[in-house]
Amino acid sequence: MPEINNLIRATVADREQFFIALYKSAFPSVARYISKMGGSFDEAKDVFQDALVIYYEKAANGTVSIKTNEKAYLLGISKHLWLRKFKDNVLHSPIDGIDLEAAADEEDYSENKLMHYLATAGKKCMDLLRSFYYDNVPLGDAATLFGFSGVRSATVQKYKCLEKVRETIKQKSLTYEDFLN
Amino acid sequence: MRTSLIETEQIEAHLLQLSAPGDALVFEAKLLLDDELNDKLQWQKVAYNKIKLYGRNQLKQEIEAVHQSLFSQARHKSFSEKIRQIFSKR
Repeated sequence: MPEINNLIRATVADREQFFIALYKSAFPSVARYISKMGGSFDEAKDVFQDALVIYYEKAANGTVSIKTNEKAYLLGISKHLWLRKFKDNVLHSPIDGIDLEAAADEEDYSENKLMHYLATAGKKCMDLLRSFYYDNVPLGDAATLFGFSGVRSATVQKYKCLEKVRETIKQKSLTYEDFLN
Repeated sequence: MRTSLIETEQIEAHLLQLSAPGDALVFEAKLLLDDELNDKLQWQKVAYNKIKLYGRNQLKQEIEAVHQSLFSQARHKSFSEKIRQIFSKR
């Protein structure tokens, strides 16, 4: 099994191997549980994938040790997510015909446009920043991963990108706001 | 590092609570006097949230790609069969 250090230093290929291993070890018991509870294959898939995201984020933040029994941990989160989903469906279904989610659509539109812009025009910077702030890759490793000569130039590039993204978000958010109003 | 990058670094240290106590006080005083700095701080906070959201979206796509390959490639056939059986027994 991969260790925590490998996980947080991971490249796309490392993460792929990591998730394949987790799927093979933990998905069968999650699928059996969801099936027993009357859920479908697609529901088991959704729940398990959300559990993987939670597990990954906790591991990247150092709030969970990969050495704890990952299979039991993933099954535990999945059960929790399934029960919450079931409760939410009962409580939040639009009983009076008004869909609360539709009201948030207008906001979502400018949000999605912004994310799309960042993910395309600013992809290079976003990938670098993702590895610092989401995957929590240590500076030295990120420098190697992204081909910088050292920690110092990686740091400079990190702040250049952060500044660029910050200004883009400000500019775009104000533009979309104008457009919607 | 150019001045604006040092400022970005200071904003980060403030937001992530990494500054030494003395530096934190100086920075807070600056914030009170400088509207432009305040504005940058607010947008930088938004930027961290967007970066995390971006990371999460990317990760979800990576996981979905793993799922697709596990349930379509011949080399994972015994695994996918095992899962399908769980849902066909009902």
